[in-house]
Amino acid sequence: MSNENNESKAPEEPSGQTAGSDDSSGVTADPLGDPSRRLFFKRAAVGGGAALLGGAGAYGAARLSLQGRPSDDYPMIDEKLFKPKDQRDVVLNFVSSKALNKKHPERNEQYNRLQNKEFNWVRGIIDMYSKPWDNSKPGYTQMDRALQKAGWEPLNIAGSRPAANLQPNTPFHSWDQSDVEKEQYQFKSKKEASDAIKSAARVFGVVKCGIARRDKRWDYDPLYDIENEKELSWAKDFPFEPKTVIVILLPMDYDCIATAPAWTADGTAADGYSQMGVKATQMAKFIKGLGYHAVGAGNDLGSSVPYAIMAGLGEGGRNGALLAPGVGPRVRIAKIYTDFDFVEYDQPHSWGITEFCLSCGKCADACPSDAIPKLEDKNGGYGFQPSYEFSDEPGYTWNNHLGIRKFYSDAKKCYNFWVENGGACSACIASCTFNEPDYWHHWFIMAITPWTPKPLHAAMALSHPAFGYGHTNDPKKAEKFWKSGEGMRTNVDLKNNIGTSNKS
Amino acid sequence: MELMQWFFMGVLFTLSVVGLAYLSIVVRLEWYTWAGLITGAILVLFGIGWAGASFMEGIAQSGAMGLMLFSGGGVVLMVLTWRYLVAPVLAKRSNS
Repeated sequence: MSNENNESKAPEEPSGQTAGSDDSSGVTADPLGDPSRRLFFKRAAVGGGAALLGGAGAYGAARLSLQGRPSDDYPMIDEKLFKPKDQRDVVLNFVSSKALNKKHPERNEQYNRLQNKEFNWVRGIIDMYSKPWDNSKPGYTQMDRALQKAGWEPLNIAGSRPAANLQPNTPFHSWDQSDVEKEQYQFKSKKEASDAIKSAARVFGVVKCGIARRDKRWDYDPLYDIENEKELSWAKDFPFEPKTVIVILLPMDYDCIATAPAWTADGTAADGYSQMGVKATQMAKFIKGLGYHAVGAGNDLGSSVPYAIMAGLGEGGRNGALLAPGVGPRVRIAKIYTDFDFVEYDQPHSWGITEFCLSCGKCADACPSDAIPKLEDKNGGYGFQPSYEFSDEPGYTWNNHLGIRKFYSDAKKCYNFWVENGGACSACIASCTFNEPDYWHHWFIMAITPWTPKPLHAAMALSHPAFGYGHTNDPKKAEKFWKSGEGMRTNVDLKNNIGTSNKS
Repeated sequence: MELMQWFFMGVLFTLSVVGLAYLSIVVRLEWYTWAGLITGAILVLFGIGWAGASFMEGIAQSGAMGLMLFSGGGVVLMVLTWRYLVAPVLAKRSNS
């Protein structure tokens, strides 16, 4: 103390002129040599404490924001337009069925006439993977084709590959209920049941899991057995009356999707389809082990995106996909239909994603087939029915589920590009502003998105490519992907690994 | 690597708090001057954090943009605040 007092009496310092005093000049001559040393530590502590509190507050606010807010305005239905979706009117189902193609030759004819194409729907799906590779073209080499085919292999081995095209009752998504346990496990509370289901999902590698009530509006009705070309009924053919639909999201690799529309990207998409089969069958087996009926489903049985929205997992995007916070559209969706209903149901949530899509349009710009509605379309492409090119031609929108307020894509053009490309595209996933890897700055943007004014959304969308994200059709991305195994950089479980991964 | 980034960010953050605390006993400043300096410091740190994460995820362009826009903006704000709001007070002190 005496030392401080001595130091404070520096000759050039006017008395009481520390910043903490009331002196009008407001300066001190020798700050570390006077009692203000104590003041310095005090202020550093107060400043640090305030910063800590501010940081904790910001963390709490971001956490709340990322949980989303319950949304009452989904779904918005126009009852005059809406009717249950016939499974036969889904493009992937239609192109897989020779009988349906024979029954509706006008669909192929109208498409070719309007789009000035000579495209054969049925040949297309057969030819898709027979296009020869070119080892001088990154993304379209033998290695990329091998990745594509390997991605599908679990489904192939299981005999469930047709499930990707909506074939119901395949081995992975079997309707067989003979292995349901006779004794039904009794949960103490609905919350305990929901937590248990989501815990099991996490063990199986699911990135997100939500639970929705079964809603007939999202179920395909009638169902259709493509292999036997026959209609199926929920009441007569399905093995039980579903009450609940568990929705699970399976991640796709960021660097692999970034190569879109190259064949490389199809590797992780194909793997996603396989994982849909594996995880859905595991979850169905878990529910059956608890003594309740369950059937796993991939693209079949019902429309996955609205079920995922109802389960609170994300919002509908301009590209027609589910955009889930943190991963955007870079997920595949599988469902488990069950009669178990003693659960806490999730509800739709909003993170400002659909509203952001109204100002963004990056997916539409990136789409090589112009299948996605653009910003300049009527109402920005957002409405109760399609507004894309030729959508006013009678019968042209046969594949769309009318009467739901959303963005309507022309899936026919999308599929056409897949066939020409020799593999599924994913450009709308790679270019999406919400498709980001798991790093804090992307979570930060996600957290502030609901609170940013709408005029800023367009600027944020523009800055996405300016910051180096979302570029598609870039051969360097394929080259980068094939080097990404070094250090397993994108494996989220090893993100903080700084030495134990091998360097090639 | 992310843990190391957070560690270095913590060091930088602590140094910033200490620096501002030191300044607070050297000179009495108006509230808007402090707002400028603190906002500038936060922007600089934010940009460094952004850049670190971007380089780790392999998007160098994002890192460069983060440094330029956020950290650069923070530096400009701090320099302008210092030049027009802090320096005159210090000059007044040395003249008195």
